Amino acid sequence: MITLTVNGRSHDLDIASHERLSDILRDKLGLMGVRVSCGEGECGSCTVIMDGEPVTACLVLAMQAEGREITTIEGLGTADDLHPIQQAFIDEQGFQCGFCTPGFIMATKALLERNPDPTEREAAQAVSGNICRCGAYPYIIKAVLNAARKLRGEHDD
Amino acid sequence: MTTDSEFTIVGKPVPVKDGVEKVTGNLEFAVDLAVLGMAHGKILRSPHAHARIKRIDASRAESLPGVLGVLLPGDTPGTVWDGCWLNYRGAALDGVARFAGDEVAAVAAETEAIAEVALELIEIDYELLPAVLDAEQALTPGAPQIHEDGNAREPYVVEWGDISEGERQADHVIECEVDFASQQMAPIGRNACVAEWDAGSVTVRTSSQTPSELQSGLAQALDLPQSRIRVISGPTGSSLGQWWSNNFMMITALLARKVGRAVKIELDNAECFATVKRRHKEHATGRIGVTEDGRISFIDVRHVIDNGGYGFKDSVGFFALDNWGRTENGRCFVQGVSTNLVTAGCMRGVGDVTLSSAVERLCDMAAAKLGIDPVKFRLNNQIAPGDALRHIKGKNIPQIAEAMKADLGGWRANIPDDMRERWPEPFHLSSGSTAQILRDGAEAFGWKDKWLGWGKPYSVDGPIRRAVGVGTGIHCCGVELDGNMAAIVRINPDGSAKVFCAVGRQGQGSETTQTQVAAEALGIPFERIEIETGDTDSCPWSHGSIASNTMYRMGFATWSAAIDAKQQLLAVAAREIFDADPDDLDVRDGEVVFKSPTQGKNLRATVEEVLHVNRSDAFGPLSTITGRTCHVLPPSTTFARHFAAHFVDLEVDIETGEIRLLDYIAAQDSGTVVNPPVLANQVIGGAIGGAGFAIHEGLAFDDETGAIINDGFLDYKVLRAADFPSRARVLFGDSYDPAGPYGARGAGEAPIAAPIPAISQAVYNATGVWLDIPMTPERVLAALGRI
Repeated sequence: MITLTVNGRSHDLDIASHERLSDILRDKLGLMGVRVSCGEGECGSCTVIMDGEPVTACLVLAMQAEGREITTIEGLGTADDLHPIQQAFIDEQGFQCGFCTPGFIMATKALLERNPDPTEREAAQAVSGNICRCGAYPYIIKAVLNAARKLRGEHDD
Repeated sequence: MTTDSEFTIVGKPVPVKDGVEKVTGNLEFAVDLAVLGMAHGKILRSPHAHARIKRIDASRAESLPGVLGVLLPGDTPGTVWDGCWLNYRGAALDGVARFAGDEVAAVAAETEAIAEVALELIEIDYELLPAVLDAEQALTPGAPQIHEDGNAREPYVVEWGDISEGERQADHVIECEVDFASQQMAPIGRNACVAEWDAGSVTVRTSSQTPSELQSGLAQALDLPQSRIRVISGPTGSSLGQWWSNNFMMITALLARKVGRAVKIELDNAECFATVKRRHKEHATGRIGVTEDGRISFIDVRHVIDNGGYGFKDSVGFFALDNWGRTENGRCFVQGVSTNLVTAGCMRGVGDVTLSSAVERLCDMAAAKLGIDPVKFRLNNQIAPGDALRHIKGKNIPQIAEAMKADLGGWRANIPDDMRERWPEPFHLSSGSTAQILRDGAEAFGWKDKWLGWGKPYSVDGPIRRAVGVGTGIHCCGVELDGNMAAIVRINPDGSAKVFCAVGRQGQGSETTQTQVAAEALGIPFERIEIETGDTDSCPWSHGSIASNTMYRMGFATWSAAIDAKQQLLAVAAREIFDADPDDLDVRDGEVVFKSPTQGKNLRATVEEVLHVNRSDAFGPLSTITGRTCHVLPPSTTFARHFAAHFVDLEVDIETGEIRLLDYIAAQDSGTVVNPPVLANQVIGGAIGGAGFAIHEGLAFDDETGAIINDGFLDYKVLRAADFPSRARVLFGDSYDPAGPYGARGAGEAPIAAPIPAISQAVYNATGVWLDIPMTPERVLAALGRI
């Protein structure tokens, strides 16, 4: 039995030692916004934030997450009350198929928490652990910069 | 349909309908699905390239606790199913493995883990058969035969004019040979399939671009009427041609029937990469003749494609011959060949990424020989509206083409009245070209300042050489052969509406753009219209979103169904409320009004009011209107193409062989742009996918078994955000198609074709060498004699 703190709520869970954080979040907690694609840490689809750092949940054993604060896309905003980063991704259409989008948004959140005013290059590098096979990268980078402006309280005209 | 450019909603940057679902992670993919009492399936795959099962014993697997059953070849009807456009032909399981990774059996169990253990308990004795892993070898006499009807498909040949006359006229004849690796769709997001039987009918939930095609394939594989098969297709992730109708979906349905439970099969990432589909490995050889004054006197291309185990294509898109078709003499010979590699089929831009890149290279080598600017050479030699189309002369097409010509009267009778005179002659380009986008793109790019001549970098800084390149791309706007497409538009009692069109959801925004077309035609606000794109119980049959047909053909079908619904609505309104001629009425912003402000003063009725009027010829309210596609669809390959002109600025490090992209312009001519941000995103996505293939992407096959070695993102490298210029720009041409919905044409595939010639040319200008695709650092260094 371990205790995981996910999106501000704590959960007591029976897990096996080999179980990955991504599977626990999806299968036991129903957080389907944690997307699994490559399962080997290359694509970034399953990116969540653990104690402020972006991690690929497919490479984290659930036991390693004991006692850590985990935030998934579900902990960011809701359909009725979007987080400014989510709104920025809509405003700039920083996606196509949408599969990789939660991972990109979580990578963006981690970036903007440590660097609220990134350059275009810094934004691109910060999301280069994530793959968007549809190729929406220029719009994703615009979304990251738009989100930074929103979070700094600047408004686009 | 009007040529008026002042549309209400078409052309507006409407936010995509499912943006909130995408940014909240709520969008549900097939891997997320579960149904009550569902079992889990896993597939047993052949380790051999070519083998026949002599004996298969599943008894140990079946007796493992938690196993519900094993699907063996004898449990299937053995019927052959066909994938659209010869992308697949085979039985779901037939006891023969035709590539390493081919399906040979499947297990259903209470959990995926039990199913995986059970796979290892299935005993198989294989009779190893000789295998062939190379297309040219597969064509040689005595080569192992992979199918009963042989390895070689009937060659697909297009010829026009007289090649020998073109040879006589030529001042220079240039030859080239280009080898293309096989690109993997490398899908983000795995796929899954859930099959559930009920009283002899099956519901199949999966992710597919082609829900109707999948229904047709299932009907063949299960040997059932289509009425017993319902496909519910959700979003695919980045499909790029991967998720059409795939054999694992047939196996899921058969396995569920065998064990009498709902079954889910979820592919793992390596299965997605190495067992489903890929772009063909292709090899082009060509010759071109040019005159001193810059005219092409002939083009002659031979192209070989490997179909892998179950592809059956006899051709790939070679629309470059349309684009460069002003030459009077030409020939294109395409040979499809079966091999014991994993099945190959249509990936985004099929043929125009490969064969057409080879044609572009031939033309570039000719322009280089003559010292003509590649932009100018293209402007002088590429197609213009009204010019003859070459591709359509292919030998498989004339029957239909001739039938259309012969029955032109009957065919024309169903063309929308106000379009009849505007529709072009079949087999001639309807609209658009590369001309405007080449000029505008060159201007925006600063081409004349950066292009210093063939083989000349504009900057040399130590080992870093910088140069520019331009390339053009073309593709069809759907293919009318092998079935047609239709939509339904339903107006609900409250005046809202729903569109039903089976185009799937692969992320290119078609839910939004189809709805825009419907809203424009209906006069009902966009926000009041929803859309279903994946349920075959409600959507009429359609090709799905393939061959760039989504806007041109499905858009037309949606427009036609919406017009039909509106006409029904106006007929009731005219008779019961307005006492007027329906032709004098229109629907605007959800209200029926007189077209002319001088008529009927300010009389108006909401759509809801019209639907609730007590009709004199009915017992109760009309309630619902169902509009259906009622016009003949524009014959797309005989009319329309879409075009791309891409400009790239790049640097080559001649010490490391690395190519870095510095600046990029992607100009696109797709006719009317229904939603500019949606199309711009799609265009850039094409540029990135094409650029990735140009410099990185290629599958590696095991020398002995043909198995794909680089079966994941760890070993198969795709471009990432920092690898592509983030300030890449998109420009649109402003052509207007006389047949497409509101002047729009297709869009998605020319943008992945243009990057390869543009980057190849820039690499040549930087280094003086032409390279095979992909242009990896190793190839750059080898060509420069540095390794």
